[in-house]
Amino acid sequence: MSERQSRSLQWRPLSVTLIGVGAVLVFSAALTRDPVPIFLALPLLLAPVAAGVVGPRHSPTVRMQFTVGGAAADVEVRGVVAPEPGIDARDLEVEVERPSSLGERSPLGIERSGTEVRFRADWFAPEPVITVVGVPQVVWRDPMGLIERDTRSTAQPIVVSRYPPELLRIGAVRLERTTALPGETRSRRVGESGEFHGIRVARPDDPPRQINWRASARAGVPLANEYDLEKTGDLLLLLDARTTPLGAALDERLFSIVRAAALGLSDSFLRVKARVGLGIFGEFLEVVPLSTGRTQRVRIERALRQARLSPVVGPAERCAVSVRRHFPPGLTTVVFSSLGDESSSDLTPYLRRRGYPVVVLSPSPLPLITADSTLSGVDEQLARRIGNLVRRDRIARAWQEAPTIDWSDYWSLGTFVDFVRRPRVRRVG
Amino acid sequence: MTAATAPPRRPRVRPLSLAILFVGTTYLGYLSGFPYGLGVFVAAGAVVLAAVLRRSRSGAGAAYAPAPVLAVLAIEAASAPVGFGTELIAGLAALGFLVWLADDPARPAGGPLRELPTIAVPTLALGIAWTSGLLLPTGALPLGYAGGLLALALAAVAYLVIRPAVFDREEA
Repeated sequence: MSERQSRSLQWRPLSVTLIGVGAVLVFSAALTRDPVPIFLALPLLLAPVAAGVVGPRHSPTVRMQFTVGGAAADVEVRGVVAPEPGIDARDLEVEVERPSSLGERSPLGIERSGTEVRFRADWFAPEPVITVVGVPQVVWRDPMGLIERDTRSTAQPIVVSRYPPELLRIGAVRLERTTALPGETRSRRVGESGEFHGIRVARPDDPPRQINWRASARAGVPLANEYDLEKTGDLLLLLDARTTPLGAALDERLFSIVRAAALGLSDSFLRVKARVGLGIFGEFLEVVPLSTGRTQRVRIERALRQARLSPVVGPAERCAVSVRRHFPPGLTTVVFSSLGDESSSDLTPYLRRRGYPVVVLSPSPLPLITADSTLSGVDEQLARRIGNLVRRDRIARAWQEAPTIDWSDYWSLGTFVDFVRRPRVRRVG
Repeated sequence: MTAATAPPRRPRVRPLSLAILFVGTTYLGYLSGFPYGLGVFVAAGAVVLAAVLRRSRSGAGAAYAPAPVLAVLAIEAASAPVGFGTELIAGLAALGFLVWLADDPARPAGGPLRELPTIAVPTLALGIAWTSGLLLPTGALPLGYAGGLLALALAAVAYLVIRPAVFDREEA
């Protein structure tokens, strides 16, 4: 039970108003020796007290089921609240707090009956995002609106992550394995293959060969075969959490997009049993060591959710030294950096010098700058052209050190996926 | 226009509770002693204003709907001369105001019947107070008792307002 939920009865503003007016009337009656105001004051003073006595004497318990659904940018929150016996569901007020990173498509919809309250909220993510939808606040309020009590529920907050859908199919990329286990042999097969593991609900990106048509016909829903994957590999996701001259607000939004993309990448590779590690470099390097499995997914998600931009900019060499301390060289490394200024591209050369093959994924600040621009007409066109030129120049310079993908359409990572899935010349010996 | 983009509908007027409020408030206005029937007009205006505020689409307007009626009731009661039944009318007007409060169309939980237990307590207290005032002999001693009880009741209300945890009961 949260702190808010453990509070006792609360007077609503209407109660305070009634009691205040009642008190003034009593004093005026005493001053003027007129009994009429007292008779008017009596019901006003007693109504809130009566509401407190008549209502529940403790915080009512409610059963709450709420889910977050939707695909791509859509975030659909649905829930049902049912109070304990003896409490009328029509006395429950439900409030769902929308995270600031999500927009609202329509106001909160609430349907009530005597036994339960159903609510639905339709939100959208303007950009890729990881955020937490808190447990909806449910308060019991007396029918006159004089008092209220918090309710108790066992529901838990839900983490919402939205990232470009192309990341779901990036897992078939062949990664370099840095630590072969004793007796382990490398698979020569590229892609999702191996022993049959089980059947799962088909995804839109499943190839027809993977669909289990007989099982689908029996179940009435498309089902796909899932295989134990023979291939594994290692991947390091390195987020540049240093501030840039773009400004705190823009840096924050770009970093939020980067965190969502990093979660999408880790999800995809963890699904194919690759080992994924995470590094977040601000002033110092914070790491989630290489590992695989669902627990690792939770670790990475938590680290990404808690990651914040560092106001103090750490030197790039410190990052490379720390990476070398925590991760073996040869690890395929994806660096997420906005390349907002000249100095933010300095991570790559230090990492390469220590033996990490690097791919840079750089979310472009230009779409955000253009959306917030106050310019119009010719001025805006000119500013956009200059911005594009500066950005192109920065990407070109970054390419001299490592492949760099300019990410300007935040809901599509097709360019990045195509690049990393391209067959590479394998090292011999 | 889809349901999602349509503006929220105006809450409907509940005629019965509005009529109870109107009768109680205007009758107290009639007894308030303002010249040229000004009390009646002011009371009627306050009730109309409250009804209009309650019908506003935004919740902010509806939240202020009780204010004009409450203010007018207080002014009328303070200026009303003592007379046979005036104090009873004042009490009944306050009860009518509570009934109107309970009948809020913006809240599905509203409705005077569901709030009957809350209204019953002040009604009972009002009845006891009026019959006591009517039947008890006049004099300094009963007035002293009444004053003492009133001060005690005010102190109790103030204590309850400051310490709402008094209402809490531990679960078994």
